[in-house]
Amino acid sequence: MSETSFPIKDLWRRKMQTSLALISLITCVAATVFLLLFSEQLGFGINSAAENALTVGYSMIFSSFLLFVGILVFAVGAVIVSFIAFLLMAQRTRDFGLIKAAGCPNGLVFSYFFTELFIVLFVGCVLGVALGFLTDYAVINLSAFQAYPKALNLWYGPLVFVAFLVFGLVFGLKPLLNASRLSPIIALSPVQYFGLTEGSRFKALSKSKLTLNIAARSLFRRQSATVRIVFFLSIVFILLTVSITGSIIAKDTTTARVEETEGKDLLLVAHTDMGNQYSALLSKFSGGNETTNFNYLDLNLAIPEAALHQLNVISGIANFETRLICKGRLQELMNFTIDPDTQATNLIGDNRETDALIVGVDSEKVLSSWFIEGRFLRGANSSEAVVGDSVAAVMFEKPLSQSFVMQNATFNVVGLCLDPINNGFVAFVSLEKLENLNKVSSPNVVFVQLDSSFDYASVVAQMQSHLASVNSDLKVFDLNATLKKNIGFLGAIWSVVLFLPLFILGAATLCLIAYLVLAIDEQHHEFAVLRALGAKPKTVVTILAIQSLIVLFSSFAVGISLGVIITLMILIPQPVVTSFAILEIAAWLLTALVGMFMLSLYPAVRFARKPVLKIMS
Amino acid sequence: MALSASDFVVATQALNKTYQIGYTEVQVLKGVTLNVAKGEFVALCGPSGSGKTTLLNLISGIDRPSSGIIYVLGEDLAIQDEDFLAEFRCDNVGYVFQSYNLVSTLTVAENIAFPMEWARKPASEIEARVVKLLETVGLQQRANHFPAQLSGGEQQRVAFARALANDPELILADEPTGNLDTKNGQKITQMLRHLKADGKTVIVATHDPELMQLANRTECLEDGRLADQDE
Repeated sequence: MSETSFPIKDLWRRKMQTSLALISLITCVAATVFLLLFSEQLGFGINSAAENALTVGYSMIFSSFLLFVGILVFAVGAVIVSFIAFLLMAQRTRDFGLIKAAGCPNGLVFSYFFTELFIVLFVGCVLGVALGFLTDYAVINLSAFQAYPKALNLWYGPLVFVAFLVFGLVFGLKPLLNASRLSPIIALSPVQYFGLTEGSRFKALSKSKLTLNIAARSLFRRQSATVRIVFFLSIVFILLTVSITGSIIAKDTTTARVEETEGKDLLLVAHTDMGNQYSALLSKFSGGNETTNFNYLDLNLAIPEAALHQLNVISGIANFETRLICKGRLQELMNFTIDPDTQATNLIGDNRETDALIVGVDSEKVLSSWFIEGRFLRGANSSEAVVGDSVAAVMFEKPLSQSFVMQNATFNVVGLCLDPINNGFVAFVSLEKLENLNKVSSPNVVFVQLDSSFDYASVVAQMQSHLASVNSDLKVFDLNATLKKNIGFLGAIWSVVLFLPLFILGAATLCLIAYLVLAIDEQHHEFAVLRALGAKPKTVVTILAIQSLIVLFSSFAVGISLGVIITLMILIPQPVVTSFAILEIAAWLLTALVGMFMLSLYPAVRFARKPVLKIMS
Repeated sequence: MALSASDFVVATQALNKTYQIGYTEVQVLKGVTLNVAKGEFVALCGPSGSGKTTLLNLISGIDRPSSGIIYVLGEDLAIQDEDFLAEFRCDNVGYVFQSYNLVSTLTVAENIAFPMEWARKPASEIEARVVKLLETVGLQQRANHFPAQLSGGEQQRVAFARALANDPELILADEPTGNLDTKNGQKITQMLRHLKADGKTVIVATHDPELMQLANRTECLEDGRLADQDE
């Protein structure tokens, strides 16, 4: 028989195994291509939705997430292809021995099985890539994703095809080489096939322990395949955990930071134009636009002393804080650091420049709090500055060791903060210093914190009337609407990121089902014997359920632990983890686990319903 | 005095079994009527494909008849569900398969013990019974070995020990000496002789003249019919 006709006929003869391997391969390759294409489009989607929005720090959190998800998606695909190739060939050890025993030369048997492996991998990868592109085309044309770009990165096709074909061949080759090294006698030996040597001393077991024993031993017998599926599912669970935990914690963290910075339940008092400009600067984070060439230091925008006096006499106001806001150009100052070991000096800085919003604050009275690396300003009229994350990213190498010049005054950077205003292009300096530099004596915005025991509406009404008595252009602005808009924007982006794990979950469930189908295929004779000797159908389902649970739990434990570590220690700096977030994450992951487990039982339940004789045949 | 189904361990009436193979219907059993009394040793003979294994499968409750009546130990097996049949086999029937059918992931001792473990017998009773059965089949030294490490004769002896584990009323054996050499075949025949002496009801499908001699009566199946029930 020719080298190609035998493998083709052999594959055709083993329709069940061949189609199972092909379906698993096509599903895996298609899922990988689709997820890579889709996450890139998602990335572009988020970037285009966030164009001129977000701060550099927030954008980096999203980018690192999508990059990490992309890498994991590829890794999951590669592992599963190698897993399928390994299973495909590991099951043929006995056949290899049989053909060798019949007198076929080793090289020829090897080429038969290698050709089979190549045919299955080639067909699986080609169809998988095609299906991946088709799925992406179908999904991206759904109304929910109409806003996302439709241009495809066609390079993913050959990349996945070549990489997965090579992975599959390499991993499928290993059991094939192992089989070719065995003598026909050993290859045919049931001991080799079953992989068991001698059991421990006999001890009678309860019915449930016996079931557990059979399940565990069958898993052990398929040690290699089991280790591979556990490894593969662990990566899937890392991916799931990073996406779910990451999305939820990142959403909470970013939301909390936006709330803290913008100040929840704070009111802004300012001239109508200034108030509108401030709201626009805040909503720039979610895509809003401020008025360009706005003269912040216009005397008409200043808050008169009389207005502050009026605020002092309203009993429902708990506290208020004045700020001076203006635009300025920051110029980086070159500096040097000294290496503690070599005492050598290293130059840092490059005289870079950027425009930023300059906010003068009284450090003793600020009502907002920021997520800060370093520390906040200390003392009045100091030459210290805290810069926003976007300024830090575009202008400095080591911001906390550097300084900048603004309006001929030098400021030492003592802290970095995440503030959504002006997309993070902001610098906080001493109010007194900023007033001196600009030769103004009045602030242009006032933040007011109300006493929660008073009626909100009546206090606001009192404020409006008192302020109107001083200057009719002074208005009270409720910043909660902008805050909600910004938080909603963040939430929408994270929701889209959270969409990715659903596909991963689907692919992983299919693979787990494929693994159980293979397990059933391998154990079907034993199940028939057990049934013939008195095991009920539910016992067979229980044995398979235990196997599925062992595989799921071990990979779940590894995946969740690593996923949480990666999320909390690498992807999100100083995460905000609320007890509700923990519950939400636990609910998501538990739902995924239970869902996968229940679906994985489908082939077991179907199998158990078959009559004993049908299983035996 | 006329006898009813409950007077027999096995009572079948006009038993038919048809299999659908592709588009073809194959009638394996054609109106088999067989009554086996308690303590009786019946040998089923007949050429390959005559329906011996199918008849044993129906008697054990592994398979269901296409039509006809089948009572085993007073139970109408044709109408019972899978769970009942499983429990029935576990408690009342010891089946020795032609191809041994040992569970490859369980040791010899565990293979013998598991029908008792399923029947929820006390651990001490199971352990004592396993030791006794291993002695009976002469495999004490192989207790912790796996089936793949045994010879065919040894595997058949383990299968016998397993069939006797729950001390069933009815023993079925499908060509128990068919795959064995003379020496191992004689060991199995000896075991069946002991079972007969113990008053067990035994039905053996066999071509072995020695086993046929041991039987109280021999029923021959030919083309799905018992020889004395020809149309």
